[in-house]
Amino acid sequence: MYGQMRNKFPQYLFLIPAALFVAMFMIYPIVYNVIVSFQDLTLMNLKSGAKFIGWDNYINILQTERFGIALKNTIIYTSACIFFQVVIGYLMAAFLNQEFPFRNFFRSIMLLAWMTPLVITGSLFKWLFDVDYGVFNYLLTTLQIVDEPINWLGQQSTALTAVIITNVWIGIPFNMILILAAMQSLPKDVYEAAKVDGANKFQTFLNVTLPLLRPQLMIILVLGIIYTFKVFDIILIMTGGGPVNATQVLPFYGYELAFVNFNFGESGVIATVILFILICIALLYLWMIKKEEAQ
Amino acid sequence: MRNYTLKQYLLLLVAIIIMMVFLFPIYWMITTSVKPMSDIFSSPPMIIPETIQFDAYYKNLIQDQSLLPYIRNSFIVAAGTAFLTLLLALPCAYALARFRLMWGNIFLLILLVTQMIPGIMMAMPLYILFSKIDLVNSYLALIVGNTTNALPFAIVIMRPFFLSIPKGLEEAAVIDGCNIFTAFFRIILPLTKPIILTVSTFSFLFAWGDLIFALTLATDEKVRPLTMGITKFIGQYGTQWDQLMAVSTIAAAPIIIVFLLFQKHIVSGITAGSDK
Repeated sequence: MYGQMRNKFPQYLFLIPAALFVAMFMIYPIVYNVIVSFQDLTLMNLKSGAKFIGWDNYINILQTERFGIALKNTIIYTSACIFFQVVIGYLMAAFLNQEFPFRNFFRSIMLLAWMTPLVITGSLFKWLFDVDYGVFNYLLTTLQIVDEPINWLGQQSTALTAVIITNVWIGIPFNMILILAAMQSLPKDVYEAAKVDGANKFQTFLNVTLPLLRPQLMIILVLGIIYTFKVFDIILIMTGGGPVNATQVLPFYGYELAFVNFNFGESGVIATVILFILICIALLYLWMIKKEEAQ
Repeated sequence: MRNYTLKQYLLLLVAIIIMMVFLFPIYWMITTSVKPMSDIFSSPPMIIPETIQFDAYYKNLIQDQSLLPYIRNSFIVAAGTAFLTLLLALPCAYALARFRLMWGNIFLLILLVTQMIPGIMMAMPLYILFSKIDLVNSYLALIVGNTTNALPFAIVIMRPFFLSIPKGLEEAAVIDGCNIFTAFFRIILPLTKPIILTVSTFSFLFAWGDLIFALTLATDEKVRPLTMGITKFIGQYGTQWDQLMAVSTIAAAPIIIVFLLFQKHIVSGITAGSDK
């Protein structure tokens, strides 16, 4: 065993720089979040050291109305975004899966929406959602869908919807690219067989494409949930969590606790809750894969 | 050149319409930045600008040069992130692809899990860690923060690339008297140009667009990147949309340019990243 380790030592040298980096700057922070959630760490005792206070931070956070609102908004936001991104992404992928001139150009140019820094997208959509001069309100009033211009970001009832629309726009091309790649890896002959059997387009979609794409769609879904869950930048730029917590989400709440209130312990609680939820999603995913393979 | 049918040209037409509708926000950003104030607030909105002027650019780039240090900082941080990511990811991905290491698969799993954690949750522990070693407000802090974001992705997309290089190459090199290090540097590295391009493009763009670490790890204006500059302008300009959209266009320009140059690498990077 020892001799084997020694033989392999030069090989491990390749891994060590990255492993050290990951341990120091990625695993340590995650563990630290959990530890600090049981401490009363604030800006005041940052240098002198904090005490362990048991579950106090958890009790404080869970009792605030804000936590419930943030959790609810995060769930609404994530599920709405994923639903529309995947459905619209799928439709666009199906469209681009046809043969026509310059289709690779169209496939990649759409990605501009995804590549643009979120700060820019956030301020750009703030302008598009503007009450008096925004393009969206102009379209809606001219097409007579609404009578009065909507104060999208300024009122509690519509702010979350506006942020969701923004993020759907950002996420569509990403989903489209992944779904398109999955579609292009499907075998062609099953489609010909379906055609011979006289299946129409909808039947082919339901009975051929969807079952074949299922494994890849599941990966895309899980990736999507994880990426969408991270929402922070566009909230900060577009609404700052308001009006009156209408767009408060967990990552933003954690940020406010740490960098506005400087209550690091309570921010650790939010980070730990997020970690817990993500682990549950990952386990659920692994369980689904196992079940799939067992069948 | 292939001959296309009429139906395929109709599909092209539909594709152009979809693209125009979908990318309208970006078009709107650019046109807003070159319109005079009165046209910005015209009703109905002026889809095609009547008078084009570059006052907002002149004001933000030449007259008032406060934007320039932000641009410089963004370049330093983004290039530094790309460099550090490559430095760590290249040997690591190679080892994970080539050697049968006990911890290899566990390490890969850890990378996938850490990638799931929201950046803002990493920011607080890193802030506390860096303030203890006096690293807050430095380029290095921002580079390290952004590398936590880019590294897992880089390793995950590099590993399959190394797997696709035939093993015989190094074996031949070893027979010729190379050890695993010289074989890696002389034989393998020169072959990795396409994947280096993909990974550095991505890490550069990730870091260029980062707001989270810029907001939390750099409280000093001296090292703050352009994304923080934009948030400052949002406060300062309020609803002076021409100014704000000009600043946004300036910040988006490198992205658009890099994107147009490397779009093939970007698309292949995204699809490889989800393959596992």
